[in-house]
Amino acid sequence: MADFLTRHTKDPAQKKLDTARGRGAYEGFRRALAMSRQEVVAEIDASGLRGRGGAGFPTGRKWSFIHAKEGQSVYLLCNADESEPGTFKDHHLMTFDPHLVLEGVAVGAYAIGAHRAYIYLRGEYASIAETLAAALREATAAGIIGQSCLGSGYDLSVGLQLGAGAYICGEETGLIQSLEGKRAYPRVRPPFPAVHGFLREPTVVNNVETLACAARIMAEGAEAFARLGTRQSAGTKLISVSGAVERPGVYEVEMGYPLMQFLSHEAGGISGGRRLKAIIPGGTSVPVLTAEEAAPLTIDYESMLSAGTMLGSGGMIVFGDGTSMPHALLRIAEFYAHESCGECTPCREGTGWMAWVLRRLLAGEGSPGDLGLLLRVGDNIEGRTICGLGDASVQPVRSFIRKFRQEFEALAPLPVAFPAWQLHGHGPRTGRFGPPVEEAAQSQPVEGPPDYVL
Amino acid sequence: MLTSEGLEEIEATRAEEPSARHALLTALRVTQRERHKVGPEEIEYIAGLLGLSPAIVEGVARFYDQITASPTGQHIVRVCGGITCYLSQSDRVAQDLKGFLGIADGEETSPDGEFTVRLVECIGDCDHAPAGMLDDRFVGPLDERALRTISER
Repeated sequence: MADFLTRHTKDPAQKKLDTARGRGAYEGFRRALAMSRQEVVAEIDASGLRGRGGAGFPTGRKWSFIHAKEGQSVYLLCNADESEPGTFKDHHLMTFDPHLVLEGVAVGAYAIGAHRAYIYLRGEYASIAETLAAALREATAAGIIGQSCLGSGYDLSVGLQLGAGAYICGEETGLIQSLEGKRAYPRVRPPFPAVHGFLREPTVVNNVETLACAARIMAEGAEAFARLGTRQSAGTKLISVSGAVERPGVYEVEMGYPLMQFLSHEAGGISGGRRLKAIIPGGTSVPVLTAEEAAPLTIDYESMLSAGTMLGSGGMIVFGDGTSMPHALLRIAEFYAHESCGECTPCREGTGWMAWVLRRLLAGEGSPGDLGLLLRVGDNIEGRTICGLGDASVQPVRSFIRKFRQEFEALAPLPVAFPAWQLHGHGPRTGRFGPPVEEAAQSQPVEGPPDYVL
Repeated sequence: MLTSEGLEEIEATRAEEPSARHALLTALRVTQRERHKVGPEEIEYIAGLLGLSPAIVEGVARFYDQITASPTGQHIVRVCGGITCYLSQSDRVAQDLKGFLGIADGEETSPDGEFTVRLVECIGDCDHAPAGMLDDRFVGPLDERALRTISER
């Protein structure tokens, strides 16, 4: 196990400023303040740090996109919405080391020239917001954050905002909208937040873990971080593992750590003496891996990519043998259907459809072409929406069906006289692109294999 | 309609932010906490308080899951229905809990208005599956002991 970020998270006293400072808290910020903004950005760039929220975009480069014109204000937003199913690493980090998170926010804000920063937490994290608020009061009283931080002449104020229950607020432009007191409908890009973000001003949105890494990099130097991990995945990663393991929890590992070793050592092995069936490595928005696929992988961006999936948020969900993959997929599909914000038609309608078709398959009311239909609906969502939620909703559907095809095929007893939706008189209404509903109900059922290549 | 404490919280946010609109989410949260709902009456009130159109307030209120049009109980128990918790049979836990608290099938709130039990999407506490919250507190795993603690509240 690595401890670049979590060295002190086991000690409850770490929440107190005195204890944390005794262990070097805010020394990274102090070092940053002694440098120019550009030097801080260069240092983060040299460290190889990539965004830890899911996308893995190089943090230094993201910061370098900020070019404020005369009279513009710059904002740093810390994304603590953490709503990706299976992800609870930021929960852990903010609870046990709030000062590290605040220091990261301060470093990031300084690097981009922001004098106002916000930490946006999901509504369920109200108790964590209190922990952060207490830490912020201490840091402000000690002159670390506020007017002339650490006596440097640099001013910074930090606001905390709680959401009220919406997954989409974790999408960076959704977060900005919510922070502005609006429905969290994501914005069309370009313009990107670096140009038109919060209040239409240049804005950077960074994940909690990313900023915590930045704080530690400033304290220890880029080299200390770059030395860890692999060439394309520097540093360490917080992995929140849950599901069929003996010791679910948050673990910090060096990038490049073998996945199977992680499962057997850190996570304590598969629970109940069962065997590994599948793993979702980075939150439900990334493709699932079968046990065979997962076996040779290591925990880093490139290894996951080579297997056709992503490291994502590091929210690892483990499935033991005996798990019904169709049931699991239905639950995941229902999540996206519930959380689609409704802004874009393909996602709003498509996510509902995918859940609906899965539900009827599991109810024994499926029709022959349903698996093909699921994949087609997915194809019609992907790439046709403003934000990534639509694309994300397709990944589990596509990967579960392809990789556990037999389980899904077993659900569709053939032939079915009429699709359930026609019998029940609700569901799809064919219009321009198909026969009228009454006509379709009279036509012969489709026989033979699904007309879609799985 | 709101306590002076609640009003102060909204006022403090409003004073810190560039416009009244930025205090809307906080106002909705405070109102939900104190009134256990944000219905038409509350919407009118918040609109008056922040100088916004009631349509804007309602539009935002109805977007967020934790802001409810109909009243919840004094305490709200959120049972996590996220994938990990679902695999630990959290839907059954929610059923058991409802039975325990005398909440009828198809209802969310106990007859005495004390508790609301809701099966919600992932709450980000998956290592305590089946996870749950009693108001703002994480109380998972929802084993027998946790259920007793909740019912004794």
